[in-house]
Amino acid sequence: MDESGIVMILFGSFLVLLVMGAPVTVALGVSAMASFIALDENPIKLVQIAFTSVGSFPLMALPAFILAGALMEAAGISKRLVALAESFAGPFTGGISAAAVLACMFFGAISGSGPATTAAVGMLMIPAMVKRGYEKGYASAITASSGGLGIIIPPSIPMVIFGISAIGLAVPPEAIEQHGEFQSVSITKLFVAGVIPGLVVSCSLLLLNYIRCKKAGYLGTEEGWDFEQIGQAFKHGFWSILAPLVILGGIYSGFFTPTESAIVAIFYTLFVGVFIHKELSWDDIFRSLETTTWLSGRVLLILFTATVFGRLLVENQIPAIVAESMLSLTDNLYLIWGLIIGFLLFVGMFMETLAAIMILTPVLLPVAYSLGIDPVHFGIVMVCSLSIGFSTPPLGENLFVASGISNVSLEEVTIKALPFALMSALAVFVIAFFPELTLFLPSFLGY
Amino acid sequence: ANFKMSVGDGEGSAQQVMGQKFAELLAEKTDNKHTAKLFLNGLLGSEQDTVNAASIGTLDFSVLASNNLAPFSPTVGMLSLPYIFENLDQAAKTVQGPVGTELTENTLRDAGVRILGWTFSGFRVLSNSKKPVTQLSDLKGMVIRVPKNEIMIDTYKSWGINPTPLAWTETFTALQQRVVDGQDTPYTTIYSMKFGEVQQYITDLHYLFLLEPLIVSEAVFQDQNKKTQQAMLEAGKEATAYSLDWLQEKEGQIKKELVSKYGMELNTLNDEAAWAEAAQKEVWPKFYDSVGGKDKINALLKSLGRNEI
Amino acid sequence: MGRKLLYFLDNIESYICRLLLAGFVTLLFAQIISRQLFDYSFSWSEELSVYMFVWFVFFGASYAAKMAAHNRVTFQYKLMPAWLPPILEVVTDLIWVAFNAYFVWLAYDFVFNRMNLFWKSQTLGIPMKYIYLILPVAFALMTFRILQVNYNKLVKGKTVHAPDDIDMDEMLEYEPPGVSTGSSDGTKAMNQNDADQAGKEQEVRHG
Ligand code: NA
Ligand code: NA
Repeated sequence: MDESGIVMILFGSFLVLLVMGAPVTVALGVSAMASFIALDENPIKLVQIAFTSVGSFPLMALPAFILAGALMEAAGISKRLVALAESFAGPFTGGISAAAVLACMFFGAISGSGPATTAAVGMLMIPAMVKRGYEKGYASAITASSGGLGIIIPPSIPMVIFGISAIGLAVPPEAIEQHGEFQSVSITKLFVAGVIPGLVVSCSLLLLNYIRCKKAGYLGTEEGWDFEQIGQAFKHGFWSILAPLVILGGIYSGFFTPTESAIVAIFYTLFVGVFIHKELSWDDIFRSLETTTWLSGRVLLILFTATVFGRLLVENQIPAIVAESMLSLTDNLYLIWGLIIGFLLFVGMFMETLAAIMILTPVLLPVAYSLGIDPVHFGIVMVCSLSIGFSTPPLGENLFVASGISNVSLEEVTIKALPFALMSALAVFVIAFFPELTLFLPSFLGY
Repeated sequence: ANFKMSVGDGEGSAQQVMGQKFAELLAEKTDNKHTAKLFLNGLLGSEQDTVNAASIGTLDFSVLASNNLAPFSPTVGMLSLPYIFENLDQAAKTVQGPVGTELTENTLRDAGVRILGWTFSGFRVLSNSKKPVTQLSDLKGMVIRVPKNEIMIDTYKSWGINPTPLAWTETFTALQQRVVDGQDTPYTTIYSMKFGEVQQYITDLHYLFLLEPLIVSEAVFQDQNKKTQQAMLEAGKEATAYSLDWLQEKEGQIKKELVSKYGMELNTLNDEAAWAEAAQKEVWPKFYDSVGGKDKINALLKSLGRNEI
Repeated sequence: MGRKLLYFLDNIESYICRLLLAGFVTLLFAQIISRQLFDYSFSWSEELSVYMFVWFVFFGASYAAKMAAHNRVTFQYKLMPAWLPPILEVVTDLIWVAFNAYFVWLAYDFVFNRMNLFWKSQTLGIPMKYIYLILPVAFALMTFRILQVNYNKLVKGKTVHAPDDIDMDEMLEYEPPGVSTGSSDGTKAMNQNDADQAGKEQEVRHG
């Protein structure tokens, strides 16, 4: 059986099953199983991979961040962060919708998920925007579009998954020969590298927001800044503002690994929720544990089958073939970035972010290596590109959440969010073409 | 056939050099009918996983640290007892002599994998970012990373500190962020992992000589004809000898570069006898049973011309 | 009493998972405290927490199956004639059942016949056989859950909605006038970290 035969079986059965609507994990697992049988290899391999793909310490960051996010919600930390952002709205054109973007940035610094960010921010900010005369559709669209910041600004669950997938992949020796040694990937490094790209995407959203609000005539309040309100928001939000500092400060200062920092955040939240805000009940805690259970279970079951799938690709040297055929098309780095980003945006339209990362990293990262692209830079571009998928149809989780909150039709939110998606895509190209934006901070901080 | 070989370490490591040599020799001896493709950096699974895979027959070859083979064939654990070897010669003599043959037989019986050859990776030396370590008391207050390995954990305990077991993939970052102060691996690993960027001091420690067998799945081995089997056995022996020469040449060269390139400070211990005594007294007795009894150890010591216990 | 027991058994994965999750999170926290404040590391805590985590994941996957929460790509169902998607749902679930059944057999064979008997976890000393036992057990349980969901749907006519699904339904029934903040519906919606299943529902509504 040659490589093209295996590619046909592996990707062919995968796509057929996907189109039939099989769970992603089933499509991956069954196509891998079929390939093993076609290759006359013993599928008992799957058993060991099932255990070891999941049994890794860094991966525990995933349930820990999900749990921390759910608890922060219930403990009233998210609410206060959003209120703080809202208080900055002020007298500017598009001020309150800019505050919604700001709220997503604040919230992004404690949460690792896109739809959760949209839900938490939208719940408070969409009504606030409507109260100031904004059209519901626009209010929903800006929130849905900014929700993606939740996974770009660290901490970020997709970055954890990219890190795990990338750490397991060796750099092709030919790539080292051609481009020299590559820096190693770590989740911490990704968390540091995401900060500036997060700001770049935020700024692009703010800019477009300003232009669209000016056109629509969405002015600020006449009273100007309400300093008393800002002061109050700071005072009430004191313990909430500390939360991102605990999470990110702990990681950046080297006190904790990312997994540990999520653990510390959990206990910090329990403390604040029970003793300071007094809003956290046993029921909330049980519900948070339960949400974490099924979310982790379904994501990590995909990780198992995606690992088997990736192993087959690597053993049959398929990424090398992909890289070769891409390079035979063009060797212009910018064009190749264009191809990669375009492909990721396309995949992000249909597929859930984490599944997409697990499936595509083993294929695309070796391509990046052979072009001399830094793996951390590549990871950030990948996460940024896929974050746009949260607000593009047909599967746009943030759109569903925002439309659900505002009760505006999905079509309307989708259409109004489209300009923001294009703007974000533009920002992703900027991030891809200027690697310094991503790599400056990690190297400045000595990672 | 183009066999698959799992290698735990990366490009330029002693494991990779040995595995690559074996693949070349195998091709040479079988007129290019058989060779092996190396999958580095544990791409095919952790070192322990590869033993299971080879034993089931889903993987052909694997090069791995002996302490990761020991859980599957306990007598191999003998090689990781602290201060069982005093120098390179003793280690080389042991695995190439009757003890090596016995270990091969045991592994075949216990785990269904055959040891074809050995990689010599050198003594695990101690590096850290805090201060020069020249005597036992210098260890106090240091946070040292060790693999999740009972013998190594117990050895550090016998020296009076509690080591931190950490996954290998997290080690570099942990050293860099000073979550831990130090770690121990051979010179070649310190060099290939660029630990020099995050570590300042090295102490020339001799508690553990890292031996890394090349194993073949016995199911795969038995599927081959006599001639190929013979070629595998010979290639294993020759690759072993090659690994020994490579280490001797490479280690001296690397030590110099660690100083000139990274400005590391190399120290020697002025009380290593005390380290050895503490480790032997406290650690060895715990593992007599698992390695097959005190007699086995005495036989080994005798073959090395050392005092029995 | 019998009903209570039945209810307990029907949610067994949820209880086990919550216990395991709370357990390893607390264990890791204790490890951090002990390292940072007392310079002391427990040698077995990392290994124990990772094994608890693996058990949590696979029981969690079974729980997700019970809730019909596993991710599928379904937008294409809109483009098909209406009779086809229900059939495809059953067919893909049967494929899933077959895959799982084969995997259970492989895992059983691995654990009971193939695994090395000496192999113990390094710092806990527990035979790895017992730790790997989660694989046949959880995948068998998951297979049962898939069949259960389909039995309820096809025979009893009770469709299980994915948790994100239910939230979205409630949100859609809810009329936000100028939208008041902090409504009970709101808090529920905030718990959804991922709303693709909800999306499916939504698309059907609008499409
Ligand atoms: Na985030
Ligand atoms: Na999308």
